[in-house]
Amino acid sequence: MLSKFAYYKPESLEEALSYLEKNPRTRILAGGTDIMLLLRRNVEICEHLLNIKGIPEANTMSYTPNEGLFIGAAITVNEICEDVGIRKRYPSLSGAADNLASYQIRNRATVVGNICNASPGADLAAPLLVYDAKVHIASTEGNRIVEINEFFAGVKKTVLKENEIVTGVFIPDVELGDNSVYLRKSRIKGHDLCNVGLALRLTPEKRLLMAIAAVSTTPLRLTELEKSVEGKEITPELADWIVEEIKKYMNPRPNSVRSSAEYRYHIAGVLIKRGLKKLLEKEAN
Amino acid sequence: MCNHNRKKDCFEYVDSQLPRVPLELVVNGEKVYELIDPTMTLLDFLRNNLKLFGTKEGCGEGECGACTVIMNNKTVNSCLVLAVEAQEADILTIEGLSKGGELSILQQEFIKHDALQCGFCTPGMLMSARALLDRNPDPTVEKIKEGISGNFCRCTGYQSVIDAVLSAAKREREELR
Repeated sequence: MLSKFAYYKPESLEEALSYLEKNPRTRILAGGTDIMLLLRRNVEICEHLLNIKGIPEANTMSYTPNEGLFIGAAITVNEICEDVGIRKRYPSLSGAADNLASYQIRNRATVVGNICNASPGADLAAPLLVYDAKVHIASTEGNRIVEINEFFAGVKKTVLKENEIVTGVFIPDVELGDNSVYLRKSRIKGHDLCNVGLALRLTPEKRLLMAIAAVSTTPLRLTELEKSVEGKEITPELADWIVEEIKKYMNPRPNSVRSSAEYRYHIAGVLIKRGLKKLLEKEAN
Repeated sequence: MCNHNRKKDCFEYVDSQLPRVPLELVVNGEKVYELIDPTMTLLDFLRNNLKLFGTKEGCGEGECGACTVIMNNKTVNSCLVLAVEAQEADILTIEGLSKGGELSILQQEFIKHDALQCGFCTPGMLMSARALLDRNPDPTVEKIKEGISGNFCRCTGYQSVIDAVLSAAKREREELR
């Protein structure tokens, strides 16, 4: 490790927040699977590294019926994969977690870290978007809750201020019959970033919710597209229409190392069709 | 200061000259106490300080899995873990697999199935396989693939590794019951 930084691991949220307030240029360490690379490559030079894994709130994962699921900032991706309750209630979240990087990375990487890193292709962002997740943020000035759809501000940028910590993410409870899928396309099956990641959710009232990652500067919730298909039955014709329509919302980089923009446009359409088919099959069972 | 400092791919450990911090942990069943540089990775600590050279550095970026060790019963890429994060942790490295000079069943099966050629990925591959068999004594081929998904091997093509793990699982179930 080349960057020079002071390391601090507080045992309470208050200690963490006051350390953050006193020390500008502090970076937060949870799983470390992103920040360690930046420090190693000297892309990021931080003076203080604040390990939040000792904070009790961050280590909490709790589900309250009729309210929802709270995932603390230190909860790892593999903890999501292993949770049967999540797999039952929020299948697309488990699906995205299963596909994130490799087993070792999932043992360290956290759900909250994945969204705070704000990569346009963050796998867990799309399912959190279709479930209208709420980001719980704390600072010495108090707490605030930000809708996940308003959390991302650009490539690797969020609305977080320097003195703030995300303590966790809250996902509202779903009703019986709610279903969702996550589909992704990457160069290889296994440890690779996605070219397109797509989450589709169908509520018991037949409302279709859609979010897509890796096709713009931030993961996108397709609210407008959702409105225009509201009340319509999902048919092959409608799927074809969405496939064309979704291109209007995409803005993929033309020179990505992983794929061309044309490929992403194409594959988004393929995933939409596959996803809708899967949702309908699941519903039929 | 090392003049590699700004080079992107410098693999050399550079002392940050920051004040040392105490680190206490268990490595392969033995208590270790040292004062260390807070910016040191667990991988550098194992190799440079403890001279446990079995754990390899491949990419240094969590892609290849050559540096995999078991930390508190979970596999981690030790290049992405700070040594200070392993405070009070229980670490198992490749050096801790054999007992009393005898190779473990898993290691024996890797040799029997020619599950290695150059051997650079093998320590990491063995640690991933060990952790997998600890949580699932009877894994399917799919589960084995998932378990070693973070370990790249550029020689064998994985099939012999999968065979070795299957065979080791069977032997462990029969012999260690």
